[in-house]
Order: sequence, then structure tokens, then C-alpha cells
Amino acid sequence: MLKGKGVSRGIGLGNVVVLKKVERKIEKKTIENEQVEHELERLHKALNEVINETEIQLKNISGTESDIMQAYLMILQDPSLISETENAIKNDKYNAEYAVEVGFNSVVQIFQNMDDEYMASRAGDILDIKNRVLGKMLNEKTIDLSNLKPNTIIVATELTTSETAKLDLKNISGIITEIGGENSHTSIMARTHAIPAITGIENATSIFKNNDNVAIDGTLGEIYVNPTEEEKQKLLTLQKQLEEEKLELEKYKNEETKTIDGTKVKLYANIGILKDVEVAIKNTAEGIGLFRSEFLYMDSDTMPTEKSQFEVYKNVAEMMQDKEVIIRTLDIGGDKELKYLKLEKEANPFLGFRAIRLSLDNLPLFKTQLRAILRASAFGKIEIMFPMISSIDELRQAKKVLEECKKELDDENIEYDKNIKVGIMIEIPSAALIADKLAKECDFFSIGTNDLIQYTVAVERGNERISKLYTKFHPSVIKLIKMAIDGAHSANIICGMCGEAAGDKLYIPLLIGLGLDEFSMNSNSLLNARKRINNLDKAECVKLSEEILQMSSAEEVEERLKEFKEN
Amino acid sequence: MVKEKVILKNETGLHARPAGELAKKAASFKCSIKLNVNGKTVDAKSILGIMAAGIKYNTEIEIECDGEDEKEALAEIVKDFNNNFGE
Repeated sequence: MLKGKGVSRGIGLGNVVVLKKVERKIEKKTIENEQVEHELERLHKALNEVINETEIQLKNISGTESDIMQAYLMILQDPSLISETENAIKNDKYNAEYAVEVGFNSVVQIFQNMDDEYMASRAGDILDIKNRVLGKMLNEKTIDLSNLKPNTIIVATELTTSETAKLDLKNISGIITEIGGENSHTSIMARTHAIPAITGIENATSIFKNNDNVAIDGTLGEIYVNPTEEEKQKLLTLQKQLEEEKLELEKYKNEETKTIDGTKVKLYANIGILKDVEVAIKNTAEGIGLFRSEFLYMDSDTMPTEKSQFEVYKNVAEMMQDKEVIIRTLDIGGDKELKYLKLEKEANPFLGFRAIRLSLDNLPLFKTQLRAILRASAFGKIEIMFPMISSIDELRQAKKVLEECKKELDDENIEYDKNIKVGIMIEIPSAALIADKLAKECDFFSIGTNDLIQYTVAVERGNERISKLYTKFHPSVIKLIKMAIDGAHSANIICGMCGEAAGDKLYIPLLIGLGLDEFSMNSNSLLNARKRINNLDKAECVKLSEEILQMSSAEEVEERLKEFKEN
Repeated sequence: MVKEKVILKNETGLHARPAGELAKKAASFKCSIKLNVNGKTVDAKSILGIMAAGIKYNTEIEIECDGEDEKEALAEIVKDFNNNFGE
């Protein structure tokens, strides 16, 4: 048995598919005259295979993505590129692989040297095509993530966001990764879709082989390779138990979210991609408390246009049928790569040029997004949220840009919700400390605990060596949460929370006691949270929170909350 | 041979998608179609040629068609430019 960190509960049995990055070496060979014909054939065979594959992919997609695929197809058939490559075989007598290198690289270079940032980054697209053609020539097997066999267990170093977006979720029964924490995108996605997941298995991509039979327990982080009948039975019993628990939760689907004494709170879902909305609805989310719009940007090879964003936002708003949908504007920085936006690598990306700072510095990008959100607001109940606000000036500047966008739409006679609400994330201590001032100039708050903790205790989220110091139970974190909630209430606005802590059974009583109005979390946690909230008494929670605010250490807080849970 | 000047109104320039539309349209005609832009001449039937010309917003482009269906080709391509390639 192997042991890692369980990041998404549940039992999964199935066969392994390993996603491994292959290292490729292209040899430069000189060929004889009589081999020219053969190498030309190899070139065209590979080109045609990639063309056929692209045409098949094209049938299953639409919109911007399909336009880009069309462009890919044309590049693959481009007369100048092909003659350049053929000449490298015919005249220079290179082998087909090396000819592809020469032919494509000459084009790549032209693009790389262009002074236009957008065009320069297109070099990446051509490299991408080149790699696919070479992959075919060298007979490398690529895995089509969107079309997997039933009961697949994915094994990878780490899944990228674009890989995650492609995943054929219904056929995946588990995910094993080498790196990535509890809050990595893969983990969040796995929890949303109730796929068992385990991380922290060193060298997993070498240990496991394709088609290995594996059973995983995402709760305990245990992996059984070729499980014995006994082990299988044990896990199947556990699975049955989990299903029963789930069934037990079903009855909460029809209940309102309120404490025993009748205090109502809002129970919302966090989403990242369109697929998540269905899961949110299935789990009776009362709204969307956080729509992470950055996925739209990360999954695209080009800057998403106003139209393509508008369509996604409108879709979500319509699916949620007049329930609140809070869209957070782009929250991205130097730790993530966007092909079309050259972000410099920074020494401290989490303290750097990111989120609202980036948006305010790149107005065309910011306005495109705001206009798309505004236009979608005519089709549902959309609200806007700015991430990483650290000062009142940033809020004012962002609101000013929003007003400009509204004016533009007015001039163009385009409809939008004139009373659209504007809120901010409270995720930086400096914002929590002036919450009362910020509350006077916006319509709602949402506390982002993951970042708030990181910035309060000065612990980077992903750093394993100091991960013990990263805790939501730190009294300072709790004080800042209280300041945010009190600040909001002093101006009669709502305060929510969209970090993982909002769905934590231990933490919920404390948050109810502090007066939190809205709890937004992973869809898969919603019913558990409703069960927890509906069995609490507000007065008791207030007493608990007062007691906790007097405490001086995280251990004390955690212990007290555990004790409360048992009561 | 027929010619006409247009001004590119796509804000992000002739990037992959509109360049693809243009090349596809151009390839559907028999005549040769060239773009004269910034002192260079590029083949409108090659998407890479168009993209590599790095044509930016508000640039003047001369479209030059030469061959049997040149008039029809010119009219169609001018129309696409005026529609900003659907953006």
C-alpha cells in the first residue's frame, strides 16, 4: 500500500492511465538521394494525421476555440511552410524530423522577432503544431483526455488547468498526483466533482504503469496496487458507507439554510468552469458566491474576447435563474503563465503584480471583462467582485473604470443591469483593518480565507516546510475576519466568505457566531454545511465566538472548536 | 489586375482567427491575391504570410487581385475587411 495525502474523499477502483511528459531528441541526419521520396512521404503522413485529428476535434467544439483550431488547420496546410520543409529534405538532404525543425523554426523565428506582443506569442502556437507533427513521426502515443475508458485512474505529476478542463470526468474514478496541495486546482476540481484524489505520491508517474489495477481511498490517502479480494471488499464496504452518508444528506436538499433558532444564512457555491454550475445546482446552491473568471483566461491561447466571455457569463446567469452570481474579475499573477500576456516572473508573485493590480494597469483587458460582465447582467442577477483590494484607492479606481464601461454601453444602447452590485474580496490584512471604510463604498464583502491566512501569518500556501504555520485557527486570522464582518455590518452591507474555511464543519459554528451572512464553498460540501448550520443554535455560537476571541493560540482555538463539534 | 485600399479595423490586428478567415477566402478564388502593406507584399492565401506581416489596427492595406475571377475576389475580400472579419 502507498500512502499520500487524501485531498478529495471517496473510494475509486480502476485502471491507471499515466500522463507523462516525454523528452524528445531530434537527430540531425543526412540522407541519400534515394531516401528523399521516403522522407517526404513520412512528412506528409505525419501532417495528414495531425490534420485528421484536428478535424475530428473541430467537430466537438465551437466558438473561439473552434476558430483557433481552424487557424491551426490552415497553418498545417500553409503553402509557404510546407515548401520550406520540403526543401529541407529535397535540397539540404535532411531527415524528415530535422526538416520539420528547420522549416517550422524559420517561421517561429519570424514571429518571435516581431515587436507586437500578441504576434510574438503566436510563436508558441506554431511550436505546438510542430510538436504534434514530430510526435506523430516518432510514433509517440498521446492520450486523449476528453475520451477515456470507464473507471480510469489518472496518474500525473500535476494536472495543468487546461488538462483539467479537458478531462472526461464521467469516466474518471480517481486521480493520483506527485505534487499539489489541498487547494491546488486539481484538488478543488476533484472535490467539486466528487472524484477521489490523492496527492504527494513521489515518482508516481514512474511507479505506476498504464493499465495497473488500482484502488484508492481519497479520505485516508491510501492506494492499493493490484488489490487483493479482501482489500477490495474493505473498500467497497467503505464506499457503500459513504454513499449512505450521501443519501442521508439528500434530505437537506429541500431545506432552507437556517439555524435552529431561525437565523437564515446564504449557502452559495464556488465555481470555475461551466461544468461546475450543474454540480452546484444539483447540490442546491442558493447562488454562486465566487465565479473564478481566471479559468476563461487560462484555458485560452488568445485573450478571451468580450463576446466569448459574455456568452459564458450569460450562460451561468441563465442557468442560475435569477439567483445571485458573483463574478470575480481576473485574479492572476506571475505564478501562472498566460501565453498571450507576458507576465514577468517575480521573486514574490503573491506579493506582486497580480489580480486587481494587473487589471488596473491593463485597462483594455479590464474593460473587456467588465463590459462582458455588464452585458451578461441583463440576463440574470450578476454581481461584480474585485480581488486583492488592499486600499480604498484601488476600489475607487476600479469603480471608476466600471462607470466608464457603463457609459460606453449607454452610448451604444446596450442593455445591462443599472443597479449591478459591486463588492470586494477581503483577503489582505490591510483591507480587513479598514473594512468599515471600504464598506461605505461598496455593496458587499467576501472574505478569501486562503489568501487572508497566507498574508496574515506570512506563510506561502504551497511551502511544505512551513505548512504547519498556515492555519485558519490563528487568533489573528479570526480577529481580521471579525473586523471584516463588523465593518460590513456597520455600513449595512453583507459579508460572505468564499475560502475553503466556509465549508469546514469545525469552523462553521465560529463563523455563525461572528455573524457571517453568506457561506460560499465547493459544491460538494454544500449539503454537509447545510446539515451543520441547521443543527446549530445562534446564541450558543455567539458565546463560542466570544470565548474564542479571548484565546491566544491556534492550538487552543482548534481544540475548543473540536470540543464544540462533539457537543 | 484590380486593386483597392482598405484600413484594418480589428483592434487586435490581423491575428490568427481573422488571418485564417482571410486566407481561406483567398484560397477559394483562382486569381492570385496579394496584400501590399508597410512596403511589403504578402500572399493572402498563406495564413502564416498574413500573420507574419504583423498588420496592426488602423493600418492601410492594398489588396491586389490578378486572374480570371479577380473582380469577384476583390469585392468579397474588401467586404470581409469592412465587416472586421466578424469581430
